[in-house]
Amino acid sequence: MVPPPTIAQQLAAKQREISVAEFFERNRQILGFDNPQRSLLTTVKEAADNSLDGCEEAGILPEVLVQISKEGEDRLRVAVEDNGPGILRREIPNVFARLLYGSRFHSNRQARGQQGIGISAAVLYANLTTARPAKIVSKVEEEEAAHVLELFLDTQKNQPRVASEDVMLWDRPHGTRIELVLRARYVRGRQSPYEYLRGTAIVNPHARIVLVEPDGTRVTFERATTDLPPPAKETLPHPYGLELGELGYFLKGTKRPTLLEFLSKDLQGVSARAARDVLAQSELPPGRTPASVQGEDQERLLRALHAVSLLSPSADCLSPIGALLIKRGLRNVLGEVRPDFFAPPVSRAPKVRGGFPFMVEVGVVYGGGLPADQPVQILRFANRVPLLFQQGACAITNAISSLDWRRYGLEQKGGSGIPSGPALILVHVASTKIPFTSEAKEAIAEDPEIDRELTLALQVAARHLRTHLSRRTRRDLAGAKFEIILKILPKLAEKTSHLVGKPVPDLTPVVTRIMDVVHLEATPVADPQGVRVPVHVVNYTPRARVLELFVEVPPEAMPGAAFDPAPDGTDPALGRVWWTLPKLPPSGRTQLELRFPPQTDLEASDLDWYVAGIDEAHLLGADPLPGDWDVRLPRTIVEAAEAAAAESGGTGTGEEEVDYDAAESSASASEDD
Amino acid sequence: MPRSRAPAPAKTTETDVEPEVRADALQPTLDLAGEIWSQLDHGEVPHMRLPLRTKQNLEFRMREGVWKLGRQMGTRSARKLDGALMLLRTFYLVDFINEMSRDRKTSTLRELYYISEAWQEAKFHSEDESNLLIEDLEVMCERLREDFRLHPEENGASVIGDLTIQERNRKGVVKTINCRDDVGDGGYSLPFNVEKEKIQFVKTSAKFVIAIECGGMVDRLAENGFDEQHDAILVHLKGQPARSTRRFLRRVTDELKLPVVVFTDGDPWSFRIYASVAYGAIKTAHLSNYLATPSAEFLGVTASDIENYDLPSDHLSEQDVRALQAELTDPRFGTAEWRAEIELMLKNGKKAEQQSLAKYGLNYVTEHYLPEKLAEMGVG
Repeated sequence: MVPPPTIAQQLAAKQREISVAEFFERNRQILGFDNPQRSLLTTVKEAADNSLDGCEEAGILPEVLVQISKEGEDRLRVAVEDNGPGILRREIPNVFARLLYGSRFHSNRQARGQQGIGISAAVLYANLTTARPAKIVSKVEEEEAAHVLELFLDTQKNQPRVASEDVMLWDRPHGTRIELVLRARYVRGRQSPYEYLRGTAIVNPHARIVLVEPDGTRVTFERATTDLPPPAKETLPHPYGLELGELGYFLKGTKRPTLLEFLSKDLQGVSARAARDVLAQSELPPGRTPASVQGEDQERLLRALHAVSLLSPSADCLSPIGALLIKRGLRNVLGEVRPDFFAPPVSRAPKVRGGFPFMVEVGVVYGGGLPADQPVQILRFANRVPLLFQQGACAITNAISSLDWRRYGLEQKGGSGIPSGPALILVHVASTKIPFTSEAKEAIAEDPEIDRELTLALQVAARHLRTHLSRRTRRDLAGAKFEIILKILPKLAEKTSHLVGKPVPDLTPVVTRIMDVVHLEATPVADPQGVRVPVHVVNYTPRARVLELFVEVPPEAMPGAAFDPAPDGTDPALGRVWWTLPKLPPSGRTQLELRFPPQTDLEASDLDWYVAGIDEAHLLGADPLPGDWDVRLPRTIVEAAEAAAAESGGTGTGEEEVDYDAAESSASASEDD
Repeated sequence: MPRSRAPAPAKTTETDVEPEVRADALQPTLDLAGEIWSQLDHGEVPHMRLPLRTKQNLEFRMREGVWKLGRQMGTRSARKLDGALMLLRTFYLVDFINEMSRDRKTSTLRELYYISEAWQEAKFHSEDESNLLIEDLEVMCERLREDFRLHPEENGASVIGDLTIQERNRKGVVKTINCRDDVGDGGYSLPFNVEKEKIQFVKTSAKFVIAIECGGMVDRLAENGFDEQHDAILVHLKGQPARSTRRFLRRVTDELKLPVVVFTDGDPWSFRIYASVAYGAIKTAHLSNYLATPSAEFLGVTASDIENYDLPSDHLSEQDVRALQAELTDPRFGTAEWRAEIELMLKNGKKAEQQSLAKYGLNYVTEHYLPEKLAEMGVG
């Protein structure tokens, strides 16, 4: 007679290895394959990210082609092709058809993918839903031909199975193409491949990305720069971010003979002196073999590493986009909505949380075709990868929501929440370790240090927005005044003269009374000879003006810049140039010109104009000279400025009566006939 | 003081509160142009001053017994875009009416609105805008819009009752019409011009005039023979009454010495209808002693009628409540009686239509309600 199995035996009988298929089934959601629409996006995302990472590692300007075509009722064929370095034949099966296989998991630098799940999960998904193999074409430069493999992922063993193999001649010198047939659904709009690739194009302005949609529509995101981002360096792990298991792993794996050498050479930020301090605190001999440090000793070592003050982690391993390229990327991709303002992007200096460096970048775009009556668009990026899901749970969204945007000119109910208005806010967080809310890497988790940097960066960008909006308000006001003097006043004069049978009077004095401003206009014009900026200054005030004009040019545009007439002073390092203008009588005008070499990237908003010698209230198209310029002004200008200030103090002509057309006069009487 | 009269002088011998006819009715418009021209010539920013037509600027004139515009002035200046545009429009309008005068044409208000299509940036964006500007011009020139050869479309507020009038029709023929015997069921339709050169009162047997808000109630009274049984003239107000209706009521009181009672729904908007008949409307306060009938009395439906007659009622809407609250700050409703009436309606939170009296049958209004109310008021 067999005794009944014990509980332990029963449990043991149930324990077995979980196949990857089961693992996949249970984790579909965190892997991004929970529905046909999302599965397509995840597949495109994983393949495109791999392509970009591959190109960047090899120093190649990426060309990525994404083709999506219909392959039956609920099936799509997805092909992603790049001009990357290609993959060696022997690596192909493992790279594409084996979960948790990758080169980046153990490296300490910023990269898009890390775990080595992504593309193999897509292959597995395709295998499972359509029983069709993944087709891989890859060619490395050294070989004559490309390898063509059809792969399945063996769901029992988590091993690749090669279904067929061939070689072919490929017109590419090097590159990789993956083709999958999967159950999927194509939509455009939010959380679509289009949206994802558009976001990717914005933060990867060096990449050229082409999307062919199932209906044949071909969308091309041209590259906006041919400069590759500086490659993110691989750096040593920094003790501040180290956990016990990792420390053990490094101790075991190191080739350093002594603990002292291990500490000062295999870890980042640990000088020889700091290493000695660490050893003294943890009471471990410097000469000990690293592999022998275990258990209790390991814990003491880690505590000492965390206690001793070390150099901050280096930020070399980060790959920020940079202010210039954020601007180019946004302008490139948002061209069709013609925004009227690109705030100078903010690229904060790297900071450290835990042992990991991170940095925050923000870009704000305003106006043009962006919808005015909706919440602002938020583009979130983590290590140059667009985040499309879980917006509400993301630290980026929270940082935006907790800022009072009303102070910066956007609408926002109650001063918190996502503001509304024709604006787009781009936020990029780069780090070797981004704290995501979940394995699906859809949202960044709350973290006080990241939040602080986010808020600071957003505030800087928001201040630029406010400046722009207040300038625009003044410009609108100027527009109204120009309409009065250019269109309405001449007609009014003509009508009344006609009615009374008298000649049309000279309107100059009235014009200066109505305008009562000095107006500056400067709009860059690009032509083959270069970029010209004609500058018109008109004195629309009733008295003669002596003025000093200043301009701040982006310092990188200063070499090669020419000024006509010759300026009275320049500060090339700061990009500052100034002139004393000839005395301008009422209605008097003067003209200057700035010239830059062809292809200079310059917009009206890149030039800051300042005028001294007149009160702010009488200035349009320029601002008063900021105090921190610290320029020694000529005597005449000082006098003019004093006179202007005195004048503006005494302007209340006392004739302030109710504006008949602004009073809610007859409007309130709508109850009557 | 506003003056009126179309250019063709009409001979009347009666004592006349109206000013004499002016041959150069449009001279003030040209004076206005002259003023702006000389401002331009002197290098001044063109501007004109106008009395504010706001509730806050209504003043009661004891002698005339009406509410007129007070002394608060506003400036319309070319310094601002809106002001500049209104100034330009003003002279497009002045030019247009002087042109009409030369061509002996008239224009409806609506036609003027379309005429302005040719004025480019000065064109009107709505008929309200053009109407407001015409009123501004009336105020500044102390003329009536009829002097500017502008008139509303015929809106034919109707009159039923034993009143004989003479109307000079559009062919210049004088017709004698009795508003009870010579008209159909629709009654006599008032033309937009009800001045003496157009309409003369001949005789009447009526003892009072009852001005009614809704057409349905006018029909009810006519069908029940109320006008004959009670010697009344029925005048349909058609909601907020047009100028011609108000002018007609004023002339009837002045010339036939008949009392006017106003019979409306019992809601905040009806109070305003009464106010514009009796006290003058805010928008046309510059014409109050010409359009308003200070002796007109409010008959009902009052807030207390709703209770006393237990009338079917609706709850006041949010808008209704706001309207009542606005009336509490309206100087025209500043009397103790009106305050009590408005506060009662706010307290009860109810409003009722005049036709809700039909709850007690079709004859109730003419056999019970009106006789009782009229007796209370000592009218009829």
